[in-house]
Amino acid sequence: MDGIVQSLGVIFSLSGIAVLLIGALLGIVIGALPGLGPSIGLSLLIPFTYTMSPELSMLLMISLYTSAEYGGSISAILLSTPGTAAAAATAIDGYAMAQKGQANEAISISLTASTLGGVLGGLALLLLAMPLAKLALEFGPAGYFAVGLFGLTSVAALSGGSLVKGLLGAALGLALATVGIDPIAGTPRFTFGYFELYEGVPFLAALIGLFAVSEAIALAEKHARSSKLAKSRVGHVFMSKALLKETWRSMLSGSVIGTLLGILPGVGGNIACWVARDYARARDKHPEQYGKGSPSGIAAPEASNNATVGGALVPLLALGVPGSPTTAIIMGALIMHGLHPGPQLFAEAPTLVYAILFGVIIASLVQYLVGSLFLPIMARTVLLPDGVIAAGIMAFAILGAFAIRNLMFDVWMTLGFGLVGYLMKKLNFPVAPIILAMVLGYLIESNYRTALVSSQGSYMVFLTDPISVLFLLLSLVSILVPVRRAWRARRRAALATE
Amino acid sequence: MQQTSLTLRRGRISAFVRGTVAALCMAAGAFALPQLAAAEYPEKPVTLVVWSGAGGALDTYGRKLAELLEKEAGWTVKVDNRPGGSGAVGLSQIVTQPADGSNILVLTGTLTFGIAQGLIPFKVEDLRLLRAMQSEPSSLAVLNDSPFKTVDDFVTHMKENPNGLKVGGHSSGGFHQYMLYQLMKQAGFESGWIPHDASGKVTLAMLGNHIDAAMMTPSTGLAQVKNGEIRLLGVTTAERSPFLPDAPTFKEQGYDLEGSIWRGIAVKAGTPDDVVAAIQSAIDKVTASEEWKTFQQEQFQDSPDWAEAEFTERVQKDLAEQAEFLKAAGFVQ
Repeated sequence: MDGIVQSLGVIFSLSGIAVLLIGALLGIVIGALPGLGPSIGLSLLIPFTYTMSPELSMLLMISLYTSAEYGGSISAILLSTPGTAAAAATAIDGYAMAQKGQANEAISISLTASTLGGVLGGLALLLLAMPLAKLALEFGPAGYFAVGLFGLTSVAALSGGSLVKGLLGAALGLALATVGIDPIAGTPRFTFGYFELYEGVPFLAALIGLFAVSEAIALAEKHARSSKLAKSRVGHVFMSKALLKETWRSMLSGSVIGTLLGILPGVGGNIACWVARDYARARDKHPEQYGKGSPSGIAAPEASNNATVGGALVPLLALGVPGSPTTAIIMGALIMHGLHPGPQLFAEAPTLVYAILFGVIIASLVQYLVGSLFLPIMARTVLLPDGVIAAGIMAFAILGAFAIRNLMFDVWMTLGFGLVGYLMKKLNFPVAPIILAMVLGYLIESNYRTALVSSQGSYMVFLTDPISVLFLLLSLVSILVPVRRAWRARRRAALATE
Repeated sequence: MQQTSLTLRRGRISAFVRGTVAALCMAAGAFALPQLAAAEYPEKPVTLVVWSGAGGALDTYGRKLAELLEKEAGWTVKVDNRPGGSGAVGLSQIVTQPADGSNILVLTGTLTFGIAQGLIPFKVEDLRLLRAMQSEPSSLAVLNDSPFKTVDDFVTHMKENPNGLKVGGHSSGGFHQYMLYQLMKQAGFESGWIPHDASGKVTLAMLGNHIDAAMMTPSTGLAQVKNGEIRLLGVTTAERSPFLPDAPTFKEQGYDLEGSIWRGIAVKAGTPDDVVAAIQSAIDKVTASEEWKTFQQEQFQDSPDWAEAEFTERVQKDLAEQAEFLKAAGFVQ
C-alpha cells in the first residue's frame, strides 16, 4: 500500500508531471519522424536519465514510449508516411480521410483511440500482469507459427478489389522476408554478397518506400500548386459524438488485441495493428469503406498499438525478461540504476514498480493533453500545396531511411521500394499485403522450423499444441467466412435475376 | 630556476643571438610537433563505433565506456551505433577509416564465430584487439522441478537417451551451442539444438516448458536463477562466480569446460603504437575508477582485462577451435 501512495506522490510531484510532459512532447515528435521509433527514441534518451531517480527516469521513458506510438499516426495520416512500423495500418484509412479533407477528424480519432488503448493496456498491466505472463509462457514455437498464419489471413481484407493481386503482394512480401541469415542454419540467403542484407531486407525501408516515396512521386505528378484540401476545417480537438459512437467498438477490440499481442515476444504493435484492423473490419457494418477512409480503420490499429505498451511491459515486470527491443532498453535503464526487473522487484522497490504501472495509464492521459495542443498545428499541414507536401514527404522519407542504420544502402533501397510502390499504384496493386507479409514472414518461418526441430520433424506438433490448434482453426474460419458470404451473395443475386 | 637566472645574467647578449636561439627553438619545436601531437592523442573527438543497435548489452557497455572516458580521461567521445551484417557493418566502418585511433570499435566475442562462418568478410589481423573489458560465461540450466541436480545427471540421461531432451539457447552456431558441443564431445552424447533469436526468449521457452534444458548466460534469467525457479547445473567459468556463489562450475564436476563471451575494444591494424599506448592508459583510468567497478557489479560482468597480447592470442585460439566446431556441426563445409 505504501508503494502505491508513494508512487502516486512521485507521479503527481512537480518533477513527475514535468518529465511526463517532456516525454510526451519528445515522443510525439520522435514517433512522427519516420525511421525514429520508440526504441531509438529511448536509447537516445537513456544518457539523460542517469542522474534522475529511477522512478522519474521510468516515467520519462514510458511517457516517450507511449506518445511515440501515437506520434507515428500523425505522419501516417497527413503524409502517408507511417512514422513507426506499428502505424502502417493507420496510413491506409488515415491518409484516405486526409485526402477527403478530414485530416483533423482522422488525427482526433487517432488521439482518442491511442489514449484509450494506452489506458486499457495499462490497466491490464496493473491488474492482470501475472496471469497474462502465464498466458504468454503457454506460447511455444507451434503457437507462434499459428498466430503468424492467422495474421496472414487478413491479406484478403487488404486486397482492395482483387484477391489475386493481394495474394501476389503477400507472396512477394513472404519472398522478401526470406532474405537474410537463415534463422536455423545460420547461413546467409539471397544476400548477393551484401552484408547489409544479413538481417534481412530492412523492413522500414520497404515501409517508407512503398507508402511514402510512392505517394510523393504520385503527388509530384499532379499540378504542383493544386491543393484540393484547402476547404478542410481544422482546429477542433474533440471527436464528434457521432464519430465516437461509430468507432468505440473498434477502439475496444483494438485495445484488447493490442494488449494480448503485446505480451507475446516478437509479435507486438507491428502485427497487432493489422490484426486489430482486420477484426474491426470483419465486424463493421460498412466493411467496404475500409481503405477509402473509414474512421474505424484508424481507431482499431491506433488503439491496438498503444495497448501493446502495457502488454509489452508484462513479461518485463512479471518475469524480468524483455519481450521486445523497446522493453529491452527499459530493462537496460533499470539495470543502470542497479535494479533488476522481475517478480522480486515488487518487494524490493514497490514505489518504482507502481510508478511504472500507474505511469503507463497517466502517461496516456498526458499524451492526450499534449497531443491535443499539437493537433491544430499539425492538421494545418494538409493546407499546403501538393508540391510542397511531396517535397516534405521525400525529405522525411530519406532522413528516416538513413536513420535506420546510418547506411546509404538503406536510402537506395527505400528509393527502390518507392519506384516499385509507384508502379503498383499505377497498376492498382495494393501495397499493404507486402508490408503485412514482410512483418509476418520471419515470425512464421522461424517458428515453423523451430517447432519442427524440437519435434524432430513430426508435423503432429501443430495439432497437439492447443494454442496452435486454436489459431489454425481461427485462420480457417477467417478464410472461409468471406468465401461463404461471397457465395451466398452470388446465389442471392442469381435467385433475384431468375 | 637555474636556466632563468642564467638568461637574466646574460642580459647583454645581442638581439641577434637571441633571435637565432628563438628561431632554433621554433625549428626544434616544429620538428618535435608530430610526436607531440601523438602524445596529445586524442586531439579530435573519438568515435566509439558500437557494432550493434542501441539498447543491448554491448551498447550499454559502449555508452558507459564513453561516459567514463570523458570523465576519467578527459576525452570527447561520440557513440555511433552501426548494427548490421553480424558486425560486418561496424567493422567495415573501422577498416575504411584512417588508422589514427579516432575510431574505436566496440565489439563482442561473436567476432570469431562470424569470421569462422564466413559471415564477416574480414580477418582478425585487420584489427588490433586492445582490451577485453567484460565477459559472461554460459551455463547449463534446467527448471527447478527437473530431476537433474548435477551435470552428471544430465550427461547420464543424454547418454541413455540420445537426443532425448529438448536443449536450446540463443542463436544458431554461436557461443552457447559451441559450449554444448564441447560438452557433448567430452562426455560422449548426442543432442540437438533449438536456436532462439533473442536471449530473453530462451528463459521464456524454459519457463513455458517448451525446452527441457538451456545453455545460457546466467544473467539472462537472473530473476529466476535468484529465486530458484531455474537451476544452474554447471557454469563455464574456472572458479565460482562471485555473483552466483551457489552455482557450481563444470570444472569442479570434472568437466574441462571453460569459456566466456567477451566484450571489448579494437582499432584498425596499423594504428601507431603511441596512439595505442594513449588509449590503453585511458582505459586503465576507466577500469581503475569506482564507477566502473560498480557498473560491472550491477551488470553481473566479470572483468577479464586482457590487454593486447593476451587478448589477441585468445581470439586466435578461439577462432581455430570454433572453425573446427562449425565444420563438425555442419555450419560450414
